[in-house]
This record gives sequence, C-alpha cells and structure tokens, in this order.
Amino acid sequence: MAAQGAGATASLPVGVMAPNGGTTPGRRRLRTEQGRSGLMMTSPFLALFAVFFAGPLVYSIVLSLRSPLTGAYTGLFNYRTVMSNGEFWSGVVRMGYFGVVQVTVMICLAIGLALLLDSPYCRGKKVFALIYFLPYAVPGVIAAIMWGFLLEPDLDGALGVPHQLGLASGPVQPLDYRLALYAIMLIVTWEWTGYNMTILLTSLTNVPHQVIEAAKVDGASELSVAARIKLPMVRRTVMFTIMLSIIGTLQLFNEPVILNEIATIGSALTPNQIIYNTAFAFGNEELAAAQSVVLAGVTIVATVVFFGIVRRRADPFAATKVVAK
Amino acid sequence: MSAGAAQLCPPKLRRGVFSRRAKTTATTAFLALAAAYVLVPIYWLVVASSKTNSQLFSTPTFLPPAHLSWVSNFKDLFTYQNADFGWWLLNSFIYSSVTATLGAAVSTLCGYGLAKYSFRGRRVVFGLVVGSLMVPATALVVPLFLLEHFMGLTNTYQGVVLPLIVYPFGVYFMSIFAADAVPDNLVDSARVDGAGELRTLWQIGRPLLMPGIVTLLLLSFIGTWNNYFLPLVLLGTESRFPLTVGLSAWLSSISSVGAQPIYPEIILGSFVSVLPMLVLFPFLQKYVARGLSLGAITGE
Repeated sequence: MAAQGAGATASLPVGVMAPNGGTTPGRRRLRTEQGRSGLMMTSPFLALFAVFFAGPLVYSIVLSLRSPLTGAYTGLFNYRTVMSNGEFWSGVVRMGYFGVVQVTVMICLAIGLALLLDSPYCRGKKVFALIYFLPYAVPGVIAAIMWGFLLEPDLDGALGVPHQLGLASGPVQPLDYRLALYAIMLIVTWEWTGYNMTILLTSLTNVPHQVIEAAKVDGASELSVAARIKLPMVRRTVMFTIMLSIIGTLQLFNEPVILNEIATIGSALTPNQIIYNTAFAFGNEELAAAQSVVLAGVTIVATVVFFGIVRRRADPFAATKVVAK
Repeated sequence: MSAGAAQLCPPKLRRGVFSRRAKTTATTAFLALAAAYVLVPIYWLVVASSKTNSQLFSTPTFLPPAHLSWVSNFKDLFTYQNADFGWWLLNSFIYSSVTATLGAAVSTLCGYGLAKYSFRGRRVVFGLVVGSLMVPATALVVPLFLLEHFMGLTNTYQGVVLPLIVYPFGVYFMSIFAADAVPDNLVDSARVDGAGELRTLWQIGRPLLMPGIVTLLLLSFIGTWNNYFLPLVLLGTESRFPLTVGLSAWLSSISSVGAQPIYPEIILGSFVSVLPMLVLFPFLQKYVARGLSLGAITGE
C-alpha cells in the first residue's frame, strides 16, 4: 500500500510539487526517506555549483564594488568607469552590428538549408546533414587558424588571382583591419550554421505529416508549404536559435584573438577581449569584474529586447498556428 | 492559381513552370555549394599539412605537393620545443574525458533525482538550474580565476576540470530525459523488492538512461575539447595546456621577431586536433543532435 502511495507521488510531472503530506504514518515515513534520497542525489551537483558557479558569480559582484587601488568598498565607482569607457561600449556596439549582420545571414542560411533538406527535392539528405554539422566538432581556435591562413595572401595564392587578372591593385586582404570584422563573420557563420540547421531540421521532422499532406491535397505548392506551414510551426525553435546566437555573439573571444595573431586586426574588438585585457594585461581585476557584470546585463537586456520585438510582431503567425493545430 | 482551379486539376498538372527534375537539380546544386563552404577549409588543412614550410608559400594553395612531407612534419610536430605537442594532446584527452565522465555522472544523478523524487527545495534546485542556463559562461571566467587563485587551484588539472563538471544544461537535459525514459512503476517495483534508491538507479535506471548519458558524455567531451577561454585564463605552465591553448601559443610565437617558421607544425597540429572527432562524428552525430534539439524544443 505504501508503495502505491509513493508511486502516485513519483508520477507527477517535472516541475510540479507533490501535494503535502501522506495520510498514514507509513506513507509519511516513506516520503521523507525518498525526499532524503532525492536531495542526496542532487547534492554533488549543488556543492560544485555553489563553489564553481554561484561562487564566481557572487564574487564578481563583490569584487566590482571594490577599489582597484585600495581594495576598499567604493560603491559604484567601477561601474561609472565602465559607463564612460568608450572602448568597451564601442566593442558592445561593434558586436551589435556583428549580430545584426551575421546572425541574420546565418539563421536565414540555416533555415534555408533545413527546409531544402526537408523538401522532396533533396537527394542525399543524410550526407549533407552530416557535412553541415561537422564544424561543431572543430574547436573555434582551429577554425580560426584554418580560415586565418586561408585569408592570408602569403599562404593563399588564390587571393592574388584578382590582382593577376588586373582587377585589383594588389592581393585581396580580408584580414585588413577594415575587413577583419567580416572575416570573423565568415568564420563564425562557418562554425555555427550547421549547428542551428541541425536543431531546426529536428524540429521540422516533428511537424505532423497530416498537416502537410492536407495542404498538398488542397493544392499548396512545396514553396507555400514551406513558407506557410513548416516555417510558422518551427517558429519558436527559430527564436531559440536566434537567442543562442545573440548570447554567443556578445561573448565572442576565440576567433578575434586567434586572427590577431595571424594579422594585426586589433586586440580590443570584442567586449570579452577588453575584459581579458583589463584583468590580465592591466591587472585591474575589479574593473574587469564590473565589465563582466555589465556584459552579462547587456546580454540579458539584448535577449529581452529581442523577445519584446518578436512578441509584438507575433500576430501574423497566430492564424496559421490555429489552422496548423 | 485560384483555389477553385487548384481543386479541379490533379496535383501533377499544377506544379509551376519548372519540372520536378529541375527543382531537384537546383536544390542539389545549392546544397553542394553550402557543403563546399564547409569542406574547403578542412580539405585545405589536409593538403597543407603535407607541405614543407617553403611549399606552403610557393605551391598552389589547394593542390597537394609533388612530394608529401607528412612523416617529417609529424616528427617535427612531436619533437618541437620539448615535445610539448604530445602533452597537449594527452592533456586535451584527460581534461575532456575526466570532465565528461564526472560531469555526466553528476548531472545524471541530479537530473534523475529532480525527475523521480519529490522533496523540499526541489523547485528551488530546478529554478537554479534553469536560471543558470541564461548566465553567459565567459562572464564567470575572470572571477573564477581569482577564486581558484585563493584555493590554490590555478594551473592544476583539477582547476580546469572542476568548474566544467558543473553543467546546468546537462542536469536540465537529464531531468527531462529521465522523466520519460524511466517508468515510475518500474522504480516502485524495485522498491517493493527492497532495493535501495541508488541500487535502483544503477540497476533499473542506468540501462534506460544510457542513450541520454551517451549524449551528455559527448556534449561535455566536445565542449571541453573545444574550450579555449577557460584553460587560457586558468593555466600558466605550457606542459599543462590543452591543444587549443598550446596551438595559440605557437601561433603567437610566429609573429615575434626572429621566430622559427613553424607553420607546418601549427597546420599539422590543427589537423591532428580535429582528426579524432571528425572520424568519429558520423557515428556520434545522432546522439549529439538529440541533445541539442531536446534543449531547443523544451526550451520553447
């Protein structure tokens, strides 16, 4: 009997608490025993989480309130420094521009590829899906080394071809400081398009067949099935991939650091590079902590603003959704 | 075409101006173009890793040289500068496998506990896990360095592994996976038979959770293998570097005055760093993809 009671408790879905208390002493004893086991199972994670996740989080806030010179509490002094730091904010704005251009291109490409792979006109779906996903297994550092060398005219003779044809005054220099941001976009797009496509493709395979069949019977073309049924039905997954991309863009570090070793493109292009420099080149850990906190704040604000914009424009999709259901 | 007309015509006659064959060709051409974008740098890496330093600057970029120098490049790679590269390879393997094993174990235990038990504070724990998914990981690296400095953990293997074991996505993933994969009545009957909770997890839960555990192992292994920022900040001694930090150190030595031209070592080193995963990826892809998409779909 007691076991049955326990079964009823355990079958509650995730995120829903069990109703309080059992009626018999046996049940109550079992519940506390079980509760102890459950807590015990989460404890290794919680202990490590406290030291290596919550710890640094709290510590960065404490540190950011201390004076870089004396270590004494200085209130928001470091935050005022961050607010008036032109380099930091131009890094943030640069990433904003980067995000608007690169994330748009990448997500459109990922959606396009996923829809094509999901269409009846696709041959070799499995092979293509595998190829696109491959860069996920390549470290960002290695991706930047490969592309960095390929974009360097000394190592890549192909960049001299326009010059030889008389179309340019010299070899193409994609790692020139004026173009470097676009070179990084090329690399980041290479790294993450397939990752986003994989998520979208899995989501597309979950679109019920009946809905698509019904639309086709009604005379819808493949294009309108893709645009009016498939795309609206994976809309939330698209939003999820965009959100991940916004967070990733604001954290950009590996690619610009590596490219700067190959061609001098600047060591303070992204906020994370600037934070790294503040902490380790200038030894100002307090200011670096404040910069980290501000960057985390900017990331959260960017995500919230993005969802705010999207939600306001969500209505056109609502009708299709009802039909699709 | 109006809706009325569409209903009258049989489907085959209604397709637009282009034949199905033309559409298939266009689709395949576009997909192949995108595949080329992905494969060209990898192809270049393979070809370039067979060249000597002077060949890198003199032979056609995308063509293999007349005489392949893989063997001598390999020798140079594993002997250059106190044979550091061998250590980096080993270190990357140690960091990734230890992190993946412990991270998957800790996350599985916690995720299963959250999915199958009700206890006071469960909601709080779940909230912490979901909330920390939103925290950008790199924001923690600098304060983590300072905290580890106090604890004497910087420049040690544990110092790199321990923070990476904390894998909130893994816990989140496993709590969802376990809720579906392990039926409650199976757990209950094990209890009736007198099995302890941990024994139930090990004997009943583990086989059912195995596909999810494999996914976690892979995501954590790849994530650690690819990580750069965290070990860069935490490590100072070259013999403890993973591949990513080591190769970037070699790269920065190129630009210094009077440096040796070690392009072949860097290029072959990069190739060696990605080779194991690229070879295994076709077999692992489905497990990795499942992990990513479960996060996306339930993340809605």
